[in-house]
Amino acid sequence: MARYLSIFLCCARACLVRDMTFRANFLLECLTSVGWMSMNLAFYLLVFTFTSEIGRNTGWTREPFFAFVATGLIINAIVQAFFMPSAEELTEMVRTGGLDGVLVQPLDAQFLLSMHRFDFSSLANGFVGIGLLVWALVRMEQAPPPIAWLLYPLTILCGVAILYSLIVMLAAATILMGRNQSLYDFWFYLTNFSRYPAEIYAGPWGSPLRALCTFVIPILLVVNVPARVIAQPFAGQTWGWVAAAVVAAGGALLLSRVVFQAALAKYRSASS
Amino acid sequence: MHNSSAPPFGSPAPLSLPPAPGAGSGTGPVISVTGLAKEYRVYDKPEGLFSSISGLFHRTSRVVEALKGVDLTVEKGEFVALLGPNGAGKTTFLKLLSGIITPTRGEARVLGAVPWQRTDEFRRRFALVMGQRNQLWWDLPAAESFRLHKEIYRLEPARFERTRDELVDLLDVRKLLLQPVRDLSLGERMKLELVAALLHEPEVLFLDEPTIGLDVVAQHSLHRFLAKVQAERQMTVVLTTHYMKDVAALCKRVVVITHGSILYDGSLEQIVDRFTSHKIVTLDLDGPPAEDRLKRLGFPYEIRGPQVILRIDRTRIADVLPEILRGESVRDVSVEDVPLEEIVAELFRSEAGQAPAGSQR
Amino acid sequence: MMALLPPSDLQASAREPGPLQAWMNSWRIWWTMLVICLEERLVYRGDFILGTLMRFLPIVTQVFLWTAVFGATSRGDIAGYSRNDIVAYYLLTMVTRAFSSMPGLASGIARSVRDGSVKKYLVQPVDYIGYLLAARIAHKLVYYAVATLPFAAVFFFCRSYFPPLPDASTLAAFGLSLVLSFFLGFFLEATLGMLGFWFLEVSSIVFAYMLVQYLLSGHMFPLDMLAGIPSGIPGVSLASLVHWLPFEYTAYLPAAVWLGKIKGADLVWSLVIEAGWVVVMAVACRIAWRRGTRRYSAFGG
Repeated sequence: MARYLSIFLCCARACLVRDMTFRANFLLECLTSVGWMSMNLAFYLLVFTFTSEIGRNTGWTREPFFAFVATGLIINAIVQAFFMPSAEELTEMVRTGGLDGVLVQPLDAQFLLSMHRFDFSSLANGFVGIGLLVWALVRMEQAPPPIAWLLYPLTILCGVAILYSLIVMLAAATILMGRNQSLYDFWFYLTNFSRYPAEIYAGPWGSPLRALCTFVIPILLVVNVPARVIAQPFAGQTWGWVAAAVVAAGGALLLSRVVFQAALAKYRSASS
Repeated sequence: MHNSSAPPFGSPAPLSLPPAPGAGSGTGPVISVTGLAKEYRVYDKPEGLFSSISGLFHRTSRVVEALKGVDLTVEKGEFVALLGPNGAGKTTFLKLLSGIITPTRGEARVLGAVPWQRTDEFRRRFALVMGQRNQLWWDLPAAESFRLHKEIYRLEPARFERTRDELVDLLDVRKLLLQPVRDLSLGERMKLELVAALLHEPEVLFLDEPTIGLDVVAQHSLHRFLAKVQAERQMTVVLTTHYMKDVAALCKRVVVITHGSILYDGSLEQIVDRFTSHKIVTLDLDGPPAEDRLKRLGFPYEIRGPQVILRIDRTRIADVLPEILRGESVRDVSVEDVPLEEIVAELFRSEAGQAPAGSQR
Repeated sequence: MMALLPPSDLQASAREPGPLQAWMNSWRIWWTMLVICLEERLVYRGDFILGTLMRFLPIVTQVFLWTAVFGATSRGDIAGYSRNDIVAYYLLTMVTRAFSSMPGLASGIARSVRDGSVKKYLVQPVDYIGYLLAARIAHKLVYYAVATLPFAAVFFFCRSYFPPLPDASTLAAFGLSLVLSFFLGFFLEATLGMLGFWFLEVSSIVFAYMLVQYLLSGHMFPLDMLAGIPSGIPGVSLASLVHWLPFEYTAYLPAAVWLGKIKGADLVWSLVIEAGWVVVMAVACRIAWRRGTRRYSAFGG
């Protein structure tokens, strides 16, 4: 609805204005995220001095691997910029009773709670990701086919949707339990698994893990599918992955909504 | 109609006033509550090292009854105070009525809707203001918050601006509009919260301890504002407080809640009749009082300097007073009701089910 | 006898506690602090059991990554580490990190300088650095007490990745390097925190330190892998350069010692450098404190 869009724009403008007021801090935060990411990139470069491929015959040689990393950066930048800040504030809101104020407004509570505060400095990593992607694609022998260019943004959105649903479910847990710091650590550790191509999860321990993270909590579909679309040769199998991502995204959004509404119904509210 | 919130004096139902004159009752009561109850399970926090360790494996809990089956009816245009000590359940009651929490049992309808279904339509017709808790966006200046409010409540721009200007001028907060809310004092923030709450011209206004933490001047201007606005727009207002001042200034109808039950529901004046059986007689004497005489009267008394303060049964005043005046060299005498604060404080203290001291039977 | 003592002396000796009593008092305070820490940890019961185990999860990902790398190449080892060695290495760095990481130390000091609560340490006859150290030891002991079980469980579960237990002298060197890494980590972060006397925003400095430490401490990968990388200085590899910096002693050294990657003269030399850095940072911390407080009092606080 147009109303939700205008509310979103209003909040976005307010956050942007505030970030620009504290410009130095904003720049520092951009540097912070880029800094961490550079360390990781240096590590990957080091790894590739010892090998030319990650996993035997997986296709993840250096350039495709960096395209994978770039995709991860883009998706995480979007999620960190638009959804995480609001979710992080939720603990505080539940504690101080600010959640009550949200519940009495004639607006979808999930929308407001997951999208009212933004962190634009997180987008810095996204831009680095785009640059890295361009670098990797230019150096790859095979350019992706036109269809890949269409499916790439679509599958990125699917990845974002899956992560968003995860955030909403964590938020629901926060509402029910009042406070639980390790839930957000849980987020970090869980998304940790999505950092690398799914092929590395092989063997007696890896395969079940891979299945779990593809079919039960589909975080492996988040980065793997768009990366595969753009950086691996396009085959019939790729369509299967795309379909899986779309289905997972839809299912996750639905499930998270149901869970969130249930949590609101059980909301206890801080005592006066 | 039987209900479980009967006051401890044996009368079958709490007193309730007929609707205020001028209040339209064509479509039924604005708020109707039947048997509303809310229970919480609370986990006990372990004390000491040993219980902390055992707390890892097993935690004890108990059920807290915040609200024990409450009935209430409020007609359009009424200004009702929910009076009670901390922990009485008044805020829980308000949260149920605004749909923030769902009840354990019972029913309620506000403006015809079930509050905890939280329909957009319902939420657009009422407003909630909570003292000391912000609903305005902290980082934005108030003007931006109001604009956001307009979007959320889908207000027509021209009407929104008119209402906003009216409210802002009434509370004299125009110069505060462009400052970020977090830089303002509590009193200023409260005023802005009220403006925000009334921007969408709600039919029902819930106020949760709005004057808490405010100085006397701020409280007074808040009272004046609320009284004016409520009368003008015929809003139905429910205000929770533990200050008598709020009640005396604003409401004709008082609902006293303690320990999750309604103890009394009626007018302020009738509280005096209902809950006290005596009046306070103050005598200004010429010389020191004759204590044996006072003792013989048989009423509790207190000597404060040249004054004697007696608590005399109201039915006996007509007999006793002439006797007192005849005997002593009385310079001045006054006969007053027990102060409201005292009555209410006593009410708060009494356990539900026990009659407060000195009450009528 | 008593009559020979002037009354004022009697009163004086009754009022002031002797040195033994003062020492026992500080032990009592320290013990209470320990107990409170423990209670605090146990309150969030769900948090800490889960939290401790969760810390091992990133290692899982790294292990899978390295397994895939080994799978792609036909090498038996990378920089002297077999695949199993790498697993053992990561697990051991977890142990070292449990000793040397000081969460919130630098920012806590900077904050107390900023909001003025450091004043009470200027006035009271309490050594601030000593107090911080004692508090950290208490925190760490509590942490070890509650984390030993999950750690032991994980190590037992992964025992097949470990080479046979090293001999007694290696174990002793391991223990020594661990203890030294605690003090090194402490004085490094404490000195950083002391910079709060000069800079308002210490967080950016701390962040830069964290970044470098992340890369160069061996947290991410065994530092032996840097052997093939040139450092820009002819003839000196990056690995040898890093050897002289304090960072590798906060994660890499004890793990490498246990796994037998550093032996003999190299081992002794490493321990000497580590101890040297501890001394350097301890002195730096003390100097920073003295200069900082002098500057602070000059400004009135």
